[in-house]
Amino acid sequence: MNGQLQILIALQDVLGLIREAKDASHKKALDKIGLKMENLEALEATRAELEGQLNLSVLSEYNRVRRRYGRIVAPVIGGICYGCFMKIHLAIASSEDRNESLHRCENCGMFLYWV
Amino acid sequence: MKLSETLILENISLDLKSTTKDGVLQELVSLLDLTPAAKKNLLSTLRAREELGSTGVGDGIAIPHCRSLVVRDLVIAVGRSKKGINFQSMDGKRANLFFLIVAPPVGDPSLYLIALGRVASVASAVAKDKRIKDVKQRKQFLDLVKELEE
Repeated sequence: MNGQLQILIALQDVLGLIREAKDASHKKALDKIGLKMENLEALEATRAELEGQLNLSVLSEYNRVRRRYGRIVAPVIGGICYGCFMKIHLAIASSEDRNESLHRCENCGMFLYWV
Repeated sequence: MKLSETLILENISLDLKSTTKDGVLQELVSLLDLTPAAKKNLLSTLRAREELGSTGVGDGIAIPHCRSLVVRDLVIAVGRSKKGINFQSMDGKRANLFFLIVAPPVGDPSLYLIALGRVASVASAVAKDKRIKDVKQRKQFLDLVKELEE
């Protein structure tokens, strides 16, 4: 897998965790099970560390996409971008090593990950 | 969502070898049918989740969980450690039953919470059942889960 894509996926997962930790109803539901979400500072530090590993050009696009959508990477399932639900260009979609390069959806601009 | 219908035999390990929290996470992730790169990503997200607070819920149970881009559908893995592991659980007791839950970030978030609640409830029933200590085969474990869910 492309190294920058790997970092972007990790970042998206961490951003999701941060969102969940800030969501009062999510926290309350987990609390009932005995699952705590408390140490948000540690997660923000992890996020900053991951962002520091992005190339400057990728970081700039990451910030732009994140500001627009709140997410940065869209899974591709069955040739469909799950960011905008549009079909991915066949030339990219049919390439075998598609996760080895950094691709973006031509429609929504999100980074793509073939699950 | 029924645990017995989502959990597959390949994702059960009844004899975890790890002696550390991180080792258990690695062993559980290794059970899943994912590429090495996807496993690496998932492990990093699970570690990040543990930074927020331990998923050791007490009574010998831990439920490491996260939503991650690397899975297409909800996946569950179960591990049992005979000696138990210090998972920094709320009650300070060692954990010996581990239920890993990973859900994709797409889809209804409430379904993920329902799955977590469901697994927590079944996990508690399994941990309290005296037969769990005699379970030697993965199929036996799955049958026990099925029985407790009915």
